[in-house]
Amino acid sequence: MNEETRIRPRERDTILQALGSGVVPRIGQHHIQVGRSAELGALLRDIERIADGGSAFRLVIGEYGAGKTFFLNLVRSIALEKRLVTAHADLNPDRRLHATGGQARALYQELTANLATRSRPDGNGLPNLVERFVTSALTEATDDGRSPSAVIAERLNRLTEHVGGYDFAQVIDAYWRGHDTGDEQLKHAALRWLRGEFHTKTDARQALGVRTIVDDANAYDHLKLLGLFARLAGFNGLLVILDELVNLYKLGSGRARASNYEQILRILNDTLGQAQDIGFVMAGTPDFLLDARKGLYSYPALQTRLAENPFATGGLVDYTGPVIHLANLTQEDLFLLLQKVCRVQASGSEEKAPFPDEGIEAFMKHCSERVGDAYFRTPRSTIKAFVSLLAVLEQNPGVRWQKLVEEAELEAESNPDLEPLDADGHQATPDDDELSTFQL
Amino acid sequence: MGIKPLRMTMSSVPSSSDAEHASNSSSFHHLHPAVQRWVYTQGWRALRKIQEDAITAILDEPSDLILAAATAAGKTEAVFLPVCSRLAGEETDSSVRVLAVSPLRALINDQSQRLESLAEAIGSTLTPWHGDIPASRKRRLLAHPRGILMITPESLEAMFILHGTHLRHLFGDLRYVVVDELHSFIGSERGRQLQSLLQRIELVLRRSVPRIALSATLGDMDLASEFLRPGGGIRVRRIISDRDPRELRLQLRGYEIGADGDGITRIGEDLFRALRGTDNLVFANTRADVELLADSLRRHCETDRLPNEFFPHHGSLSRELREDVERQLNDTTRPTTAICTSTLELGIDVGSVSSIGQVGTPHSVAALRQRLGRCGRRPEDPSILRIYVREHELTSRTPPQDELRPEVVQAIAVVSLLLERWYEPPVSGALHLSTLVQQVLSVIAQYGGIRTREAWRALCEHGPFRDVDAHTFGMLLCDLADHELIQQAGDGTIILGVAGERLVDHYTFYAAFSTPIEYRLIAGAETLGTLPAMFPLTTEAHIIFGGRRWRIVAIDESARTIHVEPAPGGRAPWFIGSGGLVHDLVRTRMREVYLAEEVPRYLDPSAHDMLTQGRDAFRRFALDERMAFQHSDKLLLFLWAGDRVLATVTLHLRSQGIAVDPDGLALAIRGTTEEGVMNALRTLAEDSCDAVALARLVDAKESEKHHVFLGSELLARDYASSMLDVEGARRTVRAILEQQLGRKGSSQAMPAPTDEG
Repeated sequence: MNEETRIRPRERDTILQALGSGVVPRIGQHHIQVGRSAELGALLRDIERIADGGSAFRLVIGEYGAGKTFFLNLVRSIALEKRLVTAHADLNPDRRLHATGGQARALYQELTANLATRSRPDGNGLPNLVERFVTSALTEATDDGRSPSAVIAERLNRLTEHVGGYDFAQVIDAYWRGHDTGDEQLKHAALRWLRGEFHTKTDARQALGVRTIVDDANAYDHLKLLGLFARLAGFNGLLVILDELVNLYKLGSGRARASNYEQILRILNDTLGQAQDIGFVMAGTPDFLLDARKGLYSYPALQTRLAENPFATGGLVDYTGPVIHLANLTQEDLFLLLQKVCRVQASGSEEKAPFPDEGIEAFMKHCSERVGDAYFRTPRSTIKAFVSLLAVLEQNPGVRWQKLVEEAELEAESNPDLEPLDADGHQATPDDDELSTFQL
Repeated sequence: MGIKPLRMTMSSVPSSSDAEHASNSSSFHHLHPAVQRWVYTQGWRALRKIQEDAITAILDEPSDLILAAATAAGKTEAVFLPVCSRLAGEETDSSVRVLAVSPLRALINDQSQRLESLAEAIGSTLTPWHGDIPASRKRRLLAHPRGILMITPESLEAMFILHGTHLRHLFGDLRYVVVDELHSFIGSERGRQLQSLLQRIELVLRRSVPRIALSATLGDMDLASEFLRPGGGIRVRRIISDRDPRELRLQLRGYEIGADGDGITRIGEDLFRALRGTDNLVFANTRADVELLADSLRRHCETDRLPNEFFPHHGSLSRELREDVERQLNDTTRPTTAICTSTLELGIDVGSVSSIGQVGTPHSVAALRQRLGRCGRRPEDPSILRIYVREHELTSRTPPQDELRPEVVQAIAVVSLLLERWYEPPVSGALHLSTLVQQVLSVIAQYGGIRTREAWRALCEHGPFRDVDAHTFGMLLCDLADHELIQQAGDGTIILGVAGERLVDHYTFYAAFSTPIEYRLIAGAETLGTLPAMFPLTTEAHIIFGGRRWRIVAIDESARTIHVEPAPGGRAPWFIGSGGLVHDLVRTRMREVYLAEEVPRYLDPSAHDMLTQGRDAFRRFALDERMAFQHSDKLLLFLWAGDRVLATVTLHLRSQGIAVDPDGLALAIRGTTEEGVMNALRTLAEDSCDAVALARLVDAKESEKHHVFLGSELLARDYASSMLDVEGARRTVRAILEQQLGRKGSSQAMPAPTDEG
């Protein structure tokens, strides 16, 4: 990343706003990227394989705070640059890979809602994708002097040999008819079907004449169809990005967990086998992978496929296996990161006197004293506090940074669901402190 | 029919002022027109006073409220008329708006039938929800949540576990929580579970929801208010009706065990005559009595060539058998009587019956009141209670404790407190760690994982487990981790372990209580029977079981066995007062009964004789003046205090090296002088005394469902908090010592021992 790159004001504000509220920025990640070049290289090769008509599967494993989400966003922006369509979602108890109570369809809905293309990097790219398919077919028809319907039928024909492809093609065809006849309602129904929003087969048949809908059982098949469809629309395939897989590990029912792991095995087998135009990147914690009783390794078929290269130990690495590990940020990494945040804050120019390096050092020392050495393992709250500090400094030019550094507060991450209703101005008691660092 | 129970009316019959026409009342006009129409179609002539008051109060403002009145006073309608009136005024109906929690499935079935048309009248629905409701009906509510949900605490627990992330949607517009039979929850594991669930629903919704409770009228309504809204009882409004439309018929019958029979046979005959052809519940204090009675009654049916209508119901029977008996009782076309153990009170899911039988003396007022509450199908039906107590025939070998006729006197004391509407308050400071184990696992299942500090703040610091400090909570988590119930993820989140998943995944997890935990008593190769760990069990101590005295040789807590061998020490008293912890006030009242002259009207001639004999013995032993006397090799100490105080004093004396055992109403002290006892008691009164240290002396401490997962330190803390009462013990002992000081002029520090008569 070129350090002289000017940062556009929109990027600057987006990055700072995101960091300030503890989330990963959607754009401009490269401005604050630190290290990870080998890992990014591996993912770049995956993306190229998909673009070549192949498929890919990666598990990104790292501790809390290792920067998995950040890494995924970076991968996503690269995929978009390489003209792939991307779809991303966080797993949670209501969004799973496999379910019978609507949670798998909910994941599919989330993925299609977050569908992104290069021109629509923020999501809701599905209408764009379908429209691209139709207009490119129209162009081809004009060029070849054939009827558009014939071109579309020929293209869709390639889908019908896949599971669920016939109805999928029917729906796209319905969209084309709506486009052709100016029937907005029909187009709308087709998009709703593609987003998995039809709840009953009866409704779908009345609206579109198809006998199936996207449900828990076929959500994965429809993702594969979307990959093929993306290619037909002129993109280089689909990259599906799933974060927070630790939520599968946390599922309270052994049965539900096993069937989700089985689904991961199915995806793994497909994408390392005959699947086309689709790739999956999934991120989770070491617990999720390694725990022999509840993690992926508890499923023997997955353990053998995911096992690490036995030669890749002691500093040797192998990025060709399906699992890549993100090492935690070191103190030095964090220093570089904070430096880059300063540069973003100063709008990428060196003219405005940026926050001095000794200030960053003082800040890190302060954090280490407040929270203990673990602070750089939760960069989220550290960066959040740092961005707030920079903001105050910028708006109050008279203030000395030394004073602000002393006052910086790091918030503990908490689950607001369990916050007591009658707790006003809670003071941490010694009792409390014991539990906030509780270890079994 | 043999014996006509004596009539006793607790208060006046409803007065004619009640007969005011419904439409004349002012509160009626404030109801929504749809609700008014429903009242008309019911053909009611009038709203009752309590209904008028409740309508005004509930329509007035949405806040916590307790409605206390007798059974059959129209409480349910009093709540649901104004509540439905409020619902009718709202436009949206896309979440459950009233969550009504009820202790019994039978009660839910009955009320949902009565109120379904009211819900329909306001264009909404009422969904009953418990184990017997078909899954299709439940699915319908989950897909389109609306209206009123009537549910048991166990099914509500299941909802948190199975639909944890769905709850916010399911209860989004919740307006009211209604708790039926509030008094039946107070103090129990199930009550603590209910408090926790109500708190958790508010945490999910991020707001407080008004709680309306229906309760029997209790002497001290403060404890009901505080139970309903822990920490905010003072703001709970109350509507209390003292009038009881129901007549109470009560009889106490005495039976003597001796030459002419064991009592059970004659009780069986009398029960058969009194109960045949109707639906009844009969409670006995031991499982053996239940089996004997059920067998005797079945044979009576066979002799008379009648289909059997008497069935046993206790914890050792399979769930299927028990549910079969419950179904028969709820089926009004077939007369059925269930003979149950008193300890499984909560497990008997039966609506209303014609009468209640109690074999053996009742141990608590609360239990007796709850049993009475199940009596009577219609408002005009009386509550009928027959108490059958057995006492041993008086001979020259009868121990003094039995001469006092304690069964009869305890029954009189309990009944008199019942008539005064007194009710055992919950044990203050009880940790309820067994129930906390359940709630911790359930919260983990609900959210997928918890952070330790937040869980402690939600459940303990600001929740119902306020007596559990952070350190104890941490120890509890460690104990759970030792059993692989929980584990910690990399970010510190606590999640279910493999064993925890299996536990939570089974429907038996939803109940906070279990069939009571009992220890098997083994002498040599023979199993004598089972008993709960109600009184401190320590090795070397003596216990009385089956009319004999035994010495405890060894206790194996994990196998739940107690090995004993016969112990010398004369004839053992018959009375062991099993069935539950007796409260201080019951024992104080017993002493007052001995001191009084009058004879309650509800005694049969035999019970009357026994009361007279008991009072004679009391005076003969001079117990009106002294607390102890010597009998053969034992010093018998009468403290007239509850079981928690007796247990504390016993453990303290044992810790001072004094051999002491509960022996009927008394504590029997062996091998020491009175001086030694007095000195030991003085240390209790003066020095600080650590309840947990005393609890550590007890070898068998498990009594609740999840105690098995606790380590020895937490078991001791839980035991100390719920089974011991150091403050009460010191008060009692100080009173004795002061009495001794007042009598300093007399020649002996302890009243003179007398020869047994």
